[in-house]
Amino acid sequence: MLTILRDLLRYNREFAAGTALMAFVLIISCLSFLSPYSPQDIYLVPPDVPPSWAYPLGTTSRGQDTFWILTFAIRNTLLFGFTVAIISRILSLIIGLLSGYLGGAVDRVLMSINDTFIVIPLFPILVLFYFVMRDSMTWALLALVMACLGWAYDARLIRSITMSLRTREFTESGIFSGMTTRQIVTQEHLPYVLPIMFSTTMNNMNWSIGLEVTLSVLGFTNINTPTIGVMIYWANQHTALVAGIWWWIFFPVALVVITFIGLFLLAVSMNEYIDPRSRLSRMGGAPS
Amino acid sequence: MTSAIATGRPVRPGAARPPVLEVSDLRAYYQTRYFGIEREVRAVDDVSLRVAPNEIYGLAGESSCGKTTLIKAIAGVIRPPLNIVGGTVRFRFEGATLSVYESDPGALAAIRWRHLSYIMQASMGVLNPVRRVRSSFIDFAYRHIARPMPAFWEIVVGHLERLHLQPEVLDAYPHELSGGMRQRVTIALATVCRPEFIIADEPTTALDVVVQKGVLAMIREVQRELGSSLLFVTHDLAVHANLTDRLGIMYAGRLVEEGPTADVFREPQHPYTRHLIASLPRIGDTAPKKGLGGAPPNLADPPPGCRFHPRCPLAMAVCREQNPPLVAIGPDRRVACFAVTPETAS
Repeated sequence: MLTILRDLLRYNREFAAGTALMAFVLIISCLSFLSPYSPQDIYLVPPDVPPSWAYPLGTTSRGQDTFWILTFAIRNTLLFGFTVAIISRILSLIIGLLSGYLGGAVDRVLMSINDTFIVIPLFPILVLFYFVMRDSMTWALLALVMACLGWAYDARLIRSITMSLRTREFTESGIFSGMTTRQIVTQEHLPYVLPIMFSTTMNNMNWSIGLEVTLSVLGFTNINTPTIGVMIYWANQHTALVAGIWWWIFFPVALVVITFIGLFLLAVSMNEYIDPRSRLSRMGGAPS
Repeated sequence: MTSAIATGRPVRPGAARPPVLEVSDLRAYYQTRYFGIEREVRAVDDVSLRVAPNEIYGLAGESSCGKTTLIKAIAGVIRPPLNIVGGTVRFRFEGATLSVYESDPGALAAIRWRHLSYIMQASMGVLNPVRRVRSSFIDFAYRHIARPMPAFWEIVVGHLERLHLQPEVLDAYPHELSGGMRQRVTIALATVCRPEFIIADEPTTALDVVVQKGVLAMIREVQRELGSSLLFVTHDLAVHANLTDRLGIMYAGRLVEEGPTADVFREPQHPYTRHLIASLPRIGDTAPKKGLGGAPPNLADPPPGCRFHPRCPLAMAVCREQNPPLVAIGPDRRVACFAVTPETAS
């Protein structure tokens, strides 16, 4: 495992770049544990100080050090993205694999639920959730709700791949040799869909972080938990752009963009490792 | 129907022993029902055959004549819309008889791969493209060879050697192997448990003739060494001539002729077989080959009587009304044609 990581770092530039970017983001979010200030406290430092030696990323109009509040924000945002991605990946994998492999009544029931989730409009539902839950709407609950809303497209994707896999000879041979459904799905089909899963994880984190930012900017989340979106919300509340406090908006946005690029590069290079065929297809150009 | 095998001359030592496989009156239909329209494709209709121990039984016929459906039904790997409508399939392994559609599923699962193995059509796909060959051996064969891991790998490596494969192929991905190697790996995978009965569905169709020759020689070698019976399906008559002991000819879901391969090639009885054999190119023969008019019937709506009669040059009135039974016409020979056995018409 370690040698694989070493080789990937040495020979795969995407992996090295992605690791560097993600390491940077992770270090920043880990620094939150060393923060001299609590993220809830305001007016601790002089407000509206531009980036300087004393305050490398400046200070906000709420009297918070932009750097330290950013460390909390990116930590919560990353955690949020991971939580949503992991829960929704588990849901879409289980539902997609079972539905595609078993077919019949199981497939019909699961896919009618699936299609319901595809057609319902997510944003109004999330806003509705916020109004119903109000104060009890923690980010953990929001993550759970978004995970439950974010698996449907990928479950259909996994299902379609599994439907093709189950007619392949290796599936038939597996059944013939006496493998159980669980063994076939986990040992034969799961490795096949995992690379696709990695890409959708990226997509899903992208989607969930983006939607969280949207909700937060509009104030539809718990605005006392600092996330990237909540930071932008407070900056807007204080008309930071009009007042020329650009660093309050620029640094959180830059950091979230770095996160996206880092995760994307990691996903791409992971694909290459997991799916050996893509190494071949990367060697040559278009088939002629 | 008299047993042709029991009375006929032994094809090989052991042929007189009770058959390993006995299929009687097997009917396997594809039954679909969409939007209230029911459709029934009679892909296998009233097929009876026996395969003796240590025998290579060939099954020939053009595409869509029901060869693959028949062996799927024999192997018990059916799933909707394919249904078994009637008949039985019985295997006799180690003295115990097992009926594929009557015995309990657990007993059937116990013999599969261990005693009864299946080399699938387009068997390139038997290996999972994202897993190493080693994993396929663990997945398919490990549980059937009740041995600890090191002993298991010893057996596998020994068996690979028999098929002229290096042990290194175990650590390769399928796409890293050539077509011929992949085919040999597939055959190794299917035969590593030393099964008594091997079903092979066009295992060499996708290969060029040179590789095909090598693979066929290996199949035969393994079959001889293990003493297994082999049910070999291909539309390639040249392969049958080379490999099989007995040959069954299928047309439109029915077995129309059966006999020792050499006899079928020398003296084909059924008009369809005659045309099939006559269509083979021969060295020195420069006369242009004449194709048989017409096309195989739609199995969802087969013609009444003999299914071959619309294309048959010998068709008589009785052929349009009655279905000719498959009857013994000599030692170990069976044919279903009123032109050959007019006495079977009632």
